[in-house]
Amino acid sequence: MTPIKYLSHAWAAEAETRLRGQLTPEMMKNLTSSMLTIYHNCPDGIDRALYYKLENGVFTDISVREEPFPEAEFIISGDYETFARISRAEIGSRSALMSGKLKLQGNMVKALSLASIVDRFNKILSEIACEY
Amino acid sequence: MMTNDPYFIDFPARIQAIQREMANDGVDVYLGSRLRTLSWTTDAFCPWRSYIVIPPEGLPTVFTFVIDAARVADESWLDFDHVLGFAPMGGQDQISAIADLIKKYLKGGKGVVGVEAGMSNYLPEGNLTYYEYTAFEAALPDARLVNALDIVDRLAMFKDEGTINRFRKAGRMADAGHVAVLNAIKNGHFARYTETEIAGIAAMGMREVGSVWEWSFTGGNEIASGYRTGLMGGACTPPTERKLRAGEPLMVDLHSTFRLCLGDHTHNYLLAPATERQKWHAKNFVDLVSLCLETYKPGITPSSLADEMMLFCEERGFAEFMVPGFEHGIGMLGDEWRIGRNDGPFPYWTNPDHVYQPNEMLICAIQYACPEEEIGFRYENAILITRDGCETMSRYPLAIEVIE
Repeated sequence: MTPIKYLSHAWAAEAETRLRGQLTPEMMKNLTSSMLTIYHNCPDGIDRALYYKLENGVFTDISVREEPFPEAEFIISGDYETFARISRAEIGSRSALMSGKLKLQGNMVKALSLASIVDRFNKILSEIACEY
Repeated sequence: MMTNDPYFIDFPARIQAIQREMANDGVDVYLGSRLRTLSWTTDAFCPWRSYIVIPPEGLPTVFTFVIDAARVADESWLDFDHVLGFAPMGGQDQISAIADLIKKYLKGGKGVVGVEAGMSNYLPEGNLTYYEYTAFEAALPDARLVNALDIVDRLAMFKDEGTINRFRKAGRMADAGHVAVLNAIKNGHFARYTETEIAGIAAMGMREVGSVWEWSFTGGNEIASGYRTGLMGGACTPPTERKLRAGEPLMVDLHSTFRLCLGDHTHNYLLAPATERQKWHAKNFVDLVSLCLETYKPGITPSSLADEMMLFCEERGFAEFMVPGFEHGIGMLGDEWRIGRNDGPFPYWTNPDHVYQPNEMLICAIQYACPEEEIGFRYENAILITRDGCETMSRYPLAIEVIE
């Protein structure tokens, strides 16, 4: 597969196809929630965000956004380079959170219960061949 | 709100009362950190470092260590969206998470944040630490932090019916502990036990009737025997492995807990055989406690009470054995130190001229010690100041029995 530019609209479309195809509502615990991943300092100098919306375990929106960003139940933010390093498996997402490289906003007790689900779809996203 | 629960407390009304006082005092957001504040506002036991953020209107949000947040939410009247966990993680450490929420309540990040600062003899008090204060100052650069703990202290001073009923229940639980101890030690069986075992027997007796914890940070149930009862000024006796012995005094100070309200009652014994001199000490003490309980009423102050009691002790010839103080504060868990507000001549200590009023609660606390004769007694009982006197929460009969 030809590498897709990370965080491009084509990448978002591919992500949506894979997530919808590989994750059933049961695997997503019929979750209804929203999450915004904010990438500071993208290569072109602006901030972008990836917005996920789930209704009853089904992804209803996966889109790349620019400011103003939408509201979401959980917000994870950090430098683009940090996320790129996570995608390249150079650092773990937990390590990035624990060291403060990533910032999580939202109810952490709920977030803990969703951690395995997020891991599940992050694993699928990491399998998309990308160029950064 | 209508309810049949005698232990019901209207916590939303408490929050609204705080919000009214905040408005009066010019406080935009209240950041509570003391254990007493957490108990008084959340109705949940918060043993880990916790905070409550009270906005100008609407529901407050509690922050506690993430490992305990779900349990606190389960026990509190607040829902899971208003009890949040913190942990050492980007955006989720207590300073970042709390500062982010406070900023949402401040226009442009500007305003007055009331915090809880000061000092206490009570170690788990929970005032903001120097580090926390400076970190919040840095995280809220356009806000002004002021000490606002008086807001909660003046509201919590007068007890509502649900709180009083919880204290009554906790007092009766302490009584059950005393019954268990008496049943264990009578008929000469006291010699089988150590102080720690007596503490455990009392705990079992109290837990059987629903007490959830021997709450006192001073060692749970405080048990002293022999010379340890007579340590000079010794009003703190965590139990030891010392065996109970014939011919010695025994002090049984029990701490039960019912829905965050606290039983605190001390009963004393003489383990037979008792000498006439020991009985003389015992009569002095019982007479003093009786007089003290008769004297507690609205209008008196800690210092006027102490003057009156010490005069009696002087007349009876045992003033040298007395600690000249007859009270300590009590309220929902975490509030067991100062009487009333922080308005005395020594900051954060009880104001000796505090005038008691109906519906205040305190511990009637009396300590008698004669180190030379290795004998001493303690009396503690939560009391409610009523319109014309006081009501004791423990009903265990006042006496110092000789246990054969």
